[in-house]
Amino acid sequence: MRALLYLTWRSFVNNVKRALKKPVTLILLIFLGVYAAYVLFALGRLVTELRFDSADGLIALVSVWSIYIFLADFIAYSSRKGVIFRQAHPHFVFPAPISPKLVLIHSAWMNYLTSVIVSLLFVLVGVTVFSVEPWRMALFFFVGCILELLLEVSLMVFLYTNESLSERFIKGLCMGIKIFLGAVTLFLVLYFRREGFDLDSVSAFFDWPGLQMIPVVGWNIAAYRLILIGPTTLNMVCTVLYVCTVAAAFLMAKHMRCGGAYYEDAAKFADDYAEMKRRKNSGEMVTGIGEKKRKFRRISGNYGAGGAKAVFYRQLLEYKKERWFIFTKATVINLAASAVMAFALRQNVARTEVPQLFLLGMTAYMTLVFSGITGKWETELKSPYLFLIPATPFKKLWYATLMEHIKAFADGIVLCLPMGVVWGVSPGMILMTVLIYTVLQANKMYTRVVAQCMVGDFLGKTGQDIIRMFIQMFIIGIGIMAAVAAGILIHVNLVFPIILIYSIIVTVVMGALASVRFETMEQID
Amino acid sequence: MLEIQELSKSYGKHLAVDKVSFFVPDGQVGILLGPNGAGKSTIIKSIAGLLRYQGRIGIQGMSSRTLEAKKIFGYVPEIPAMFDALTVREHVEYIRKAYSSTITEEEVQALFERFELADKQDKLGNELSKGMMQKVSICCALAVKPKVILFDEPMVGLDPQAIKELKKVVLELRSQGVTVLISTHMLEMVEELWDVMFVMDQSHIIGSYRKEDVGEKDLDDLFFEMTGGEKR
Repeated sequence: MRALLYLTWRSFVNNVKRALKKPVTLILLIFLGVYAAYVLFALGRLVTELRFDSADGLIALVSVWSIYIFLADFIAYSSRKGVIFRQAHPHFVFPAPISPKLVLIHSAWMNYLTSVIVSLLFVLVGVTVFSVEPWRMALFFFVGCILELLLEVSLMVFLYTNESLSERFIKGLCMGIKIFLGAVTLFLVLYFRREGFDLDSVSAFFDWPGLQMIPVVGWNIAAYRLILIGPTTLNMVCTVLYVCTVAAAFLMAKHMRCGGAYYEDAAKFADDYAEMKRRKNSGEMVTGIGEKKRKFRRISGNYGAGGAKAVFYRQLLEYKKERWFIFTKATVINLAASAVMAFALRQNVARTEVPQLFLLGMTAYMTLVFSGITGKWETELKSPYLFLIPATPFKKLWYATLMEHIKAFADGIVLCLPMGVVWGVSPGMILMTVLIYTVLQANKMYTRVVAQCMVGDFLGKTGQDIIRMFIQMFIIGIGIMAAVAAGILIHVNLVFPIILIYSIIVTVVMGALASVRFETMEQID
Repeated sequence: MLEIQELSKSYGKHLAVDKVSFFVPDGQVGILLGPNGAGKSTIIKSIAGLLRYQGRIGIQGMSSRTLEAKKIFGYVPEIPAMFDALTVREHVEYIRKAYSSTITEEEVQALFERFELADKQDKLGNELSKGMMQKVSICCALAVKPKVILFDEPMVGLDPQAIKELKKVVLELRSQGVTVLISTHMLEMVEELWDVMFVMDQSHIIGSYRKEDVGEKDLDDLFFEMTGGEKR
């Protein structure tokens, strides 16, 4: 354990040192700290204004947190994805003479930190906002932090390291836990569907005795009720059941035989996690750890393009092999966002007489805000072969990104069509908005490259994105102002062609600037 | 001494290693050879305790899963992976604590000197090149002061000087009575090191030789005789 503590401590110290060397990180941390304090303060005031600042209010908050953490922990641990292992673990930690149980318990230290911080926050707001006596909050901390952590660790050890029970049994048990969780979720959904979702039904739900009877999570809530608002027969019985459950789980986990068989899953998780991080850092959209291996379709045929054009045709071939061709998760997000906004804003839009401007606004918003999605073009820059092709940098940029423009056009249709149709925008205006979306996406792409060239790695990926957003907002802002002026002074329908033409000009300029990135592989940091 | 008895490992329906048994005595260098996909890495990972398997793996007579066995076992994986936020020095320090190693400060310094890491001690894991990571990985395995040591493709990514040094290290370990197992494709690199060789193909050990039995015969010739390939 001494070695593991050393590992964590030194990593923490070095990470802090590294963060402090980058002023941006420090500023970001201070900003986040101030923001978190502000949010807490504002929530405190809101709770007081709503007259929710009693022990009952705290019970409601704590119950929500308990249910959430219970669901999240059980799902993560039952699928053996709740503990983060790094690729260095199979190299340095798993072969070391350290008990595999200790390795597991130590590796989940970040999870405990969250629990401790949340418990401390509850204690803080319990005393200051909810006016609960300090001794009750001290007891609350004991149950919320110590007992809950003990249960969490025991459950984690049981699900990860159990070698006495067969793999099939553990899988069955995990499935059972998931079914149980599904039932709890269904129960909550049905309850609020029947009772409606308002302050009264929420209060009634938390006061409902059946909630405390739900095994484990309900018993846990009962313990909080016992501490915060005093004893009843039900909460005393359920609290005893909770304490017994924690003790039984702890003893079971302690005496379980474990030789480290889970290292195989942990090593695979470490690889999957590293892959997920790598893809995320390169701007891809990743929704989970250890996504299934992608299958490609078999394509026959040939392509015979030369020079920089070959890059486009190679990408086309790659997309043809993809299961969903050029349609990605971004397409699904666009479709979902469009459908939701189309119906949610329908009445508001109908009250105005300019639905086309709403469509344009929503499209611009989606372009500016969703930043992390990239396609195959960015990986082109990592291949030395691109730089060896005998063609001008601008041509390379054009053919490396052409497919992205086609994808953006398709995604633009998916985004604009449902909103446009539901809001009654004319087909011409919808088409123009799709074109504006396509050009703005191209603009985003090129501005990103320009931002990369401007700030290098100094500000990191997030910093580059913020700079990109500022540049883009500034440039597009000028266009919008010009378009709005023309719209007010001449005709509202002039807004669209002006924005489109202006965006094309700006995008071509940005593209020319970004083509520098295609000159040589080496970039200035 | 390292002994593998009836080791089997499947990935789903694919049988990667099928009832493999072999033995490397104390103070000898064993080499595990075989084409890609033969099952070498699976054996290495099983010995290192990173996989579930059937069969028995013994290190100095103890099951490789026991903490006592792990205490005297060093491992250099094929692809080194450092802790991003730990310096070179701290990696070794961690090993010293984890294994309760008796390695002295002078010995650590000497290791760093040998592998040209003396001026890189304060570099973080994520600042190292692949070759440097491999050197740190070797130093960490040696810092254990092992009785049994496992090298998986140890020469990959190393510069000529480091390869030369590593060969010397292997010979020194042998003279100190340490059992060494090297898994590799680079036959010419282990030509002068081996005492006993095991050739794997399609999940099985298809043959083994002891150096004393083959006289002056080339490692290449022995390997291709067994696998049916052709020496170029």
